[in-house]
Amino acid sequence: MKALIIDDEPPARRELRRLLADFSWLEVVGEAGNIEQASALVESLLPDLLFLDIQMPGGSGFDLLSRLDHVPDVIFTTAHDEHAVRAFEVDALDYLLKPIDPARLAGSLARLKSARVHDTEPVRNVLDQIFVRDGEHCWFVPLQEVSLISSEGNYSRLSWGTRRPLLGRGLAALEQRLDPERFFRANRQQIINLKFIEHVEMGVNGRLHVQLKEGPEVEISRRQARLFKSKTSV
Amino acid sequence: MKVSAPRSEMMTQTHQSEPPAAPSRSDQMYWILQCLGWGSYSTLRIIAAIAALEVPWATMTVEVLVLDGLGFVASHALRRYVRRNRWIDLPIPQMAGRIVTAGFIVGVPLGFLTQLTHVAALQDATPMLQLYFPGLNAGLTLSVRYALQMMNWAVLFVIWQVIYFIAVGLREYRSARLKQSEMARALQLAELRLLKSQLNPHFFFNALNTVRSLISENPRRAHDAVTRLANTLRHTLRSRQDELIPLSQEMEIVRDYLELESMRFEDRLRTEIFVPIDASTVRIPVMLLQTLVENAIKHGIGELPEGGLLRISAALEDDALVVEVENPRPIVANVLDSEGIGLRNARDRLRLLFGGGASLLLDVSRPDSAIARLRIPRNP
Repeated sequence: MKALIIDDEPPARRELRRLLADFSWLEVVGEAGNIEQASALVESLLPDLLFLDIQMPGGSGFDLLSRLDHVPDVIFTTAHDEHAVRAFEVDALDYLLKPIDPARLAGSLARLKSARVHDTEPVRNVLDQIFVRDGEHCWFVPLQEVSLISSEGNYSRLSWGTRRPLLGRGLAALEQRLDPERFFRANRQQIINLKFIEHVEMGVNGRLHVQLKEGPEVEISRRQARLFKSKTSV
Repeated sequence: MKVSAPRSEMMTQTHQSEPPAAPSRSDQMYWILQCLGWGSYSTLRIIAAIAALEVPWATMTVEVLVLDGLGFVASHALRRYVRRNRWIDLPIPQMAGRIVTAGFIVGVPLGFLTQLTHVAALQDATPMLQLYFPGLNAGLTLSVRYALQMMNWAVLFVIWQVIYFIAVGLREYRSARLKQSEMARALQLAELRLLKSQLNPHFFFNALNTVRSLISENPRRAHDAVTRLANTLRHTLRSRQDELIPLSQEMEIVRDYLELESMRFEDRLRTEIFVPIDASTVRIPVMLLQTLVENAIKHGIGELPEGGLLRISAALEDDALVVEVENPRPIVANVLDSEGIGLRNARDRLRLLFGGGASLLLDVSRPDSAIARLRIPRNP
């Protein structure tokens, strides 16, 4: 398992490296001192785990996560900002307080390892979960739970249960990274999750109307209709 | 001497700002008591006069009202006089002397006037004196009667003053106690706020983390770091709002702190310090410069991926010490955020300690740097 250490203080990075030497199954593949370096390293080294500081020059740990395509597992390391991590709506993130207690580190890594055993290795070229930061809230959103993605200018709004977080990238950029087996571009404005289709109706104008579970009706554009039919064998 | 400076400063401040509000309430109380006192005194005298003397009741009433009206006016004039001259602050013997003197000064003309009216008969002591001195058949001589009337008024005015001073003294004692406890609370709050603003947990935990890293890498530096960390922590916990220390001592605190920070930041933090010897004896509020340096790192160098140069320089200008802390900072749109709680606290402290004599300005006119400029009078 590959891990990346992201912290602006060199002694803190070295100390964590020393602590991680006890875990032979974990390989520290790199270090970064700010989020610019970090995002480049994440894209090139594709680590499975990030040890991530929150307060860093040039942008926080949260800023890093929201600009990543592939968000690996994250363990926050912080001197004092644990309240920032606790504020997360989803309890998917772990945090360690600096100076790091070796026993707590072992606990976090054990939890992570046992969770991984059940996970199949994710396909690397599609997005499976996405980190969204909308105002005060941060979420890890599993994309298979998103029913609809709508374009809002240069941003995209996700329909995820009752939540509607706004994502800081456009629909076209997002579309390229989505699993084509699951997501379909219905029209210029919307991408739908095929697993959320309740029923499909033929409209009076010959267009296809898709009713989503717990969601709105979406019209399939004329251009996409043929592709839609072949995909779903309607 | 200097330690008590802010307290007396606060005292005079609250004193100056208080009078407009407080007198209205005490004035009200005064008028109520004054009217009640004189009113009941006159009423009793009128009833007694009508009952005892063979004089038409209307005449009696008018005479009593005129005399006591004059007494009322005289007592009010007396109040104005004693208030202006702060008799309440005099030692008791002096105050007693003045009370008696004032009683006679007011009592003599009023007693003279009284002897000219029918009311005089009411206070004529002849029947009573005749009981003891049977030879006093012809009654008292006129001059003795005048004297007795004057005496009567003088005693009345002494009693009036005693009641007045007891009331005022009690009120002043109470408000002083209240003010004292309020001030103690305000001071405590200010000290607590200072402590909270100075005890920067982010710094301390990160520093501890650095120390742990150094223990295996470089034990000698780890020893040094623990000593410096202990010094910094001690100063943070011990420093008081109003303590002044020479700049040279403050610089020792700052150097310990900077050394710890450069262990954390390594080559991202570079420092340049220039403090001439003649400036290093000027006394400044403890931990104030330290706060400025901490801000410079937190909002400046700590926010820059490549770090930067922190410059501290001191100089004597005329009769003031000027210390500048300059740091590079990220270029951001809104500079208003940079006025944090630390800076506000520092300004509050300067105002308490030096009044308008000291100043602290944050110069952010250049987009990529900030200069905190501290000015402290040399002889406060």
